[in-house]
Order: sequence, then C-alpha cells, then structure tokens
Amino acid sequence: MQLTQLLKLVLINITQNKVRTFLTTLGVIVGTATIFLVVAIGKGGEARVNEQYSKLNVGTIIVMGSHRGRIVDPLTKKDAELFLKSENIAQAFPILRGSGNITFNNYSTTGNFIAIQPEFQRSNNLTAQQGRSLDKEDEQKRNKAAVVGAELANTLTDGYPSEIVGQTISINNRRLTVVGIYNRVGDSGSGMSYDDAVFVPYSVGEKFLLGTRANPVINVQATSMDTVQAAISDITNILDETHRAGGADQFRILDAGSRLAAAQESARTMSLLLLAVAVVVLIVSGIGIMNVMFVTVKERTREIGTLKAIGAKKREILGQFLIEAVIISLTGGIIGVAAGFLALPVLSCFELTALPSLSGVLLGLIFSVVTGVFFGFYPAWKAADLSPLEALRYE
Amino acid sequence: MIYSSKYVIDANNIVKIYQNGSEELKVLDNVSIKVSKGDFMAILGPSGSGKSTLMNILGCLDLPTSGQYYLDGLDVLKASENELAEVRNKKIGFIFQKFNLLPRLTAMQNVMLPLLYRGVDEEEAGELAKEKLTILGLGARLHHRPNELSGGQQQRVAIARAIVGSPQLLLADEPTGNLDSKSSREVMEIFKELNQQGNTILIITHDAEVAGQVKKIVHIRDGKVYENN
Ligand SMILES: Nc1ncnc2c1ncn2[C@@H]1O[C@H](COP(=O)(O)OP(=O)(O)OP(=O)(O)O)[C@@H](O)[C@H]1O
Ligand SMILES: [Mg+2]
Repeated sequence: MQLTQLLKLVLINITQNKVRTFLTTLGVIVGTATIFLVVAIGKGGEARVNEQYSKLNVGTIIVMGSHRGRIVDPLTKKDAELFLKSENIAQAFPILRGSGNITFNNYSTTGNFIAIQPEFQRSNNLTAQQGRSLDKEDEQKRNKAAVVGAELANTLTDGYPSEIVGQTISINNRRLTVVGIYNRVGDSGSGMSYDDAVFVPYSVGEKFLLGTRANPVINVQATSMDTVQAAISDITNILDETHRAGGADQFRILDAGSRLAAAQESARTMSLLLLAVAVVVLIVSGIGIMNVMFVTVKERTREIGTLKAIGAKKREILGQFLIEAVIISLTGGIIGVAAGFLALPVLSCFELTALPSLSGVLLGLIFSVVTGVFFGFYPAWKAADLSPLEALRYE
Repeated sequence: MIYSSKYVIDANNIVKIYQNGSEELKVLDNVSIKVSKGDFMAILGPSGSGKSTLMNILGCLDLPTSGQYYLDGLDVLKASENELAEVRNKKIGFIFQKFNLLPRLTAMQNVMLPLLYRGVDEEEAGELAKEKLTILGLGARLHHRPNELSGGQQQRVAIARAIVGSPQLLLADEPTGNLDSKSSREVMEIFKELNQQGNTILIITHDAEVAGQVKKIVHIRDGKVYENN
C-alpha cells in the first residue's frame, strides 16, 4: 500500500474514533506537561541558586561562635590579626552584627546592622552606588557614618533610595548619618543578606552601638579557592591555642564554597525528586493509554484479521498502527507542552521559579512518543503476529 | 513451486488436528478436494463437521497440520508469510458470514481496500469499487458506513470487496447465514451470475435451498469428505 493511502487510513481511524483518540491523547498530554514542568522547575531552582550565589566569593570563610550569646571566651579583634599569620589566609576582618530598630524620618523597621573595617568592603564586592563607602578615617575617628544596603534603602524610603543619602537615621535610637548606598550583592554566604543591612565602622559598632555586647564574627579570605581547607585547619589550630578554655570546638567555621556546593546539590536532588514524580506520572498515564488500547484491542484485533484476510502484509499493519500511535502521541505531546507553558504562570503563584527550556520541551516530546508508541503500538504488534484466523476469532 | 494444473484448488490428504490440553481433536481427517476453473461448488455438513476449518485452510487464513495444497499451481504450504498475504490479496476473495467490513470506512473505501493493498492508485481503485458496487445495486450507498446499511446490503459490499480484484477463487463461509430469506436469495443470485461470468466459487452452507442452486456438492462429516453430484 502506498504511504499516502496508509496515512489516509490512519486519519480515518483517528477521526472516526474520537472518544478513544481523546482518552489516549489525554494521558499523553498529562504526562508530557508534567515532564515539561518538572524540568522547568528543576532548571528554575538551579538558576535561582546560581544567581543567589553568583557574587559569592568562594574563598570566604566565616568564623563565629556556635552558641549565640553564651560564649565564655568570645572571638576578638586580636584573633583576626593572628589568623593573618597563616600563609593560607589573605585577609581577616572582624565584624560585629546586631539587630534592632532602624528609623528614617517617621518610618521604622527591624533590621540588621553590621560593623566592619573598611577593607571588608572590597573583598565582599560592596561598592557604593550612591554617595561613598566607609573609609579608614571613619574607622579611626569613629565617625557616626552609615552605608545602607540597596534593599533596605528602598524599604526605608518607600522606593526613593536617593532621598536617604546625607540624612540621619537612627539605630536603636542612636543617630548616624547615611553617607552612601551599596550596590546589590545578593546572598553573602554567611546566612545574612547584605542588601537588607546597614553598615557602620567597626569602631562605631564596638563602642557606640553594642558596647559590652560586642561579640565579633571573623570574616576570613583564603589566599585562593584551593587553600580554603588548609586555611580552615590553620584557623582551628590558632583557636585551639588562643582560646584554651573551650578550644576551636566552641566556634563554627563555615566556608562559602561548601555552602554553594550544598545548595547546588540540594537543587539537583530536588530536580531528581521531581523527575521521579514525573516518571511515575508518565507510567500511570501510560497504563491509562494501554487500558484504552486494550479495551479496543479485541475490536481492533478482529479488524487486523480482516485486513490480513484481504491481503494486508504484516509490515503494512505494523506501519498503520505505528503511524497511528506516533500521530496520537506526538499531538498529545505538543498539546502537553503547550499546556505546560500555560501552567507556568500558575506555578509562580506558588513562588516556584520555573524556567522553560528546550531540553524540557524535547524531553517531554520524546517521552510522549516513547510512551505513546510503546503502549499504543504494543497491542497491534501482538495482533500482527497472529494468523489471520486467530485474529479473526480473537476473544 | 508453480506447476500448471487444471485445478484452481488441488488439496490432498489435508489433516487438521487441534490440541485441547492433552487431548487431540482431529477436525480434518485426510481430506482431499479438487476444484476446477469455473466450478460452483457447495460444502454441506452438520455443525461441527469441519466445514469452516477446511474453508479457512483453502482460503490461506490457516495452515493444515499436514497435507498438500496447491492453489492455482502455487504450493501454499511452502509459501512465506508475505507470499501468503499476496495470495490472499490477489487470488482469493473471501466472504464471511458476519460480513467483516471495517466499521469506520465507507462502503466504497471498504471495497477499495484490497486494491490499495495491491498498490493500485486511489483513483483507479475508486473507479473499480464504484463499478462493482453499482453492479451489485449499491450505487446510491457508496458513502454509507456499514452500520448505515442493512445486512443484505453489507453482504453485497463484502461480495464487491471480494470480487473487486478479480481473484481466481471466491470462498464464502455461510454467506447467507445472517440474512433473511429475501436477502439470501438475492445474494445467491449474485453468486450464480458471478459463476456464469466464469468465477470459480466454493460456498459453505446449511441451507438445502442454497445447496440446490449449485453445480456440485461435497459432503463433509466428522472431518471426512464424501463427494457426489
Ligand atoms: N481453535 C480451535 N481449537 C480447538 N478446536 C477447534 C478450534 N476451531 C474449531 N475447533 C473444532 O473443530 C470442529 C470443527 O469446527 P468448524 O468450525 O470447522 O465446524 P463447522 O463445520 O464450520 O460448523 P458450523 O456449521 O457450526 O459452522 C469443531 O468441533 C470445533 O469445536
Ligand atoms: Mg462454520
């Protein structure tokens, strides 16, 4: 039989059997849309992690007390100086962190403040987008200057950040002058968003804002990514020596690289989990397709018997059913991908980042054709092996 | 493989055994049957005697357990699956008791099908199908689907499908079994006419009236053939 005739025959069968075609297609649509969305969610998750950590310096190591506020023997500015003796450590800055009421004009919010030495800014990519950043003079003279993170500046000014530069804000009722706003930096790797914080000179934080509650964290930069582990062991040794009371165990040493790796790892695990769900959905929808096929298989097997009796060859019968399965599943696949695209806005309502991708589309289509052909073609493949009489008599 | 023979059907010592668990059921017991060109023959016998089994073997829908079968000179039992498909397509027109039309195709498409499987192009197949259906009185029903036709009409479509490719042999297994007496008579008239035009026809029937209209009768009982005319 000519291919065009075979195609016509298939189209007649598909269009004349709307309910069966619809039910089969439905399974494929659901399966494909699921695959597409799962891949999109997975990609979205990975992209979010990468973006979040894109500005992170992987050589960063954070040393902090492990029990907030209950350390017998807290870190000091001196520890930072001692760390610098290690050949694996390029920089070490003590920083102080605190939180409280931050007020501008009549607007007040609870937020974090961070007291830093000026060098900290360069190694953490903190640059001023407006005004200036903190400098050595601020540190030495204990200027009551503050630089605000981009996000916090927005919040305090209700969307007009430039208004805040040169003005006075108060942190826990202590007044400081805003000298600048930083550029956005994203996640700092220390579990605290710099964009939402206000920065002051270390000396100001120590004497003016925190006083005896001053309990520094030390931000260390390893000489390179490869020396991070060596730097961590140097830090541990130094702490064991200088803090004999509790040793290094009372401190937590976090490195940004591990945090990034862990975040990427968990994003990937999430993707795999979603993919597993998608595979289950596909198998279930595949079984649905096969059910529909098996319900009609009796009728169709007899048809195959008739076709054989009037002279259809096995390959012509297989060809007919293969074309039918491919058309149905590919149509379902394309509709499924389209449905997936339509569902994307719905996902964002649930705060899921979904990133549609070509690989998601292809994976969905491949899966649709594979399941469609496997489940749709299998009954025909079995039937084509029967003798004409067996097919005609099929019960 | 091909040897020339004056018989369209030349079958010898056909045995068909069905295995029912450990029990062997010999449905055809050394059946020999010869049908010449232009014959109009009926196979008669009680229910369960093996008529359909024989007919299915002669129609290449099934293979015997042993025996010899030459169809128009071709050694059927040595033919490959594809060769058998071609034999069914070109040499045999099979007519079933239950019509066996494809439900989603129109009368005309059903009749065109054997030609399409032969590679005939659509236009020519359509012309031939229309011609045969018109001859059989269905010129006004070309685009009806089987469920829009009466039993007699469906059987006429099936006959048109069987003869459209001008096969050497027409086989009909109780073609009037599902029809009322008027339609039965019409169908038998068609067969008679086809035979007068030179078609070789082998027909299974229960009906004495039908049997009375053929040239030759073969009796079958318990899988054995008894010939008389
Ligand atoms: N697939 C099979 N397996 C086992 N036995 C079978 C099979 N097909 C047919 N038979 C047996 O073979 C015998 C002959 O069957 P067949 O259909 O040829 O009879 P028949 O003469 O056509 O009868 P009827 O007039 O009722 O159509 C019956 O006893 C039947 O039970
Ligand atoms: Mg029978």
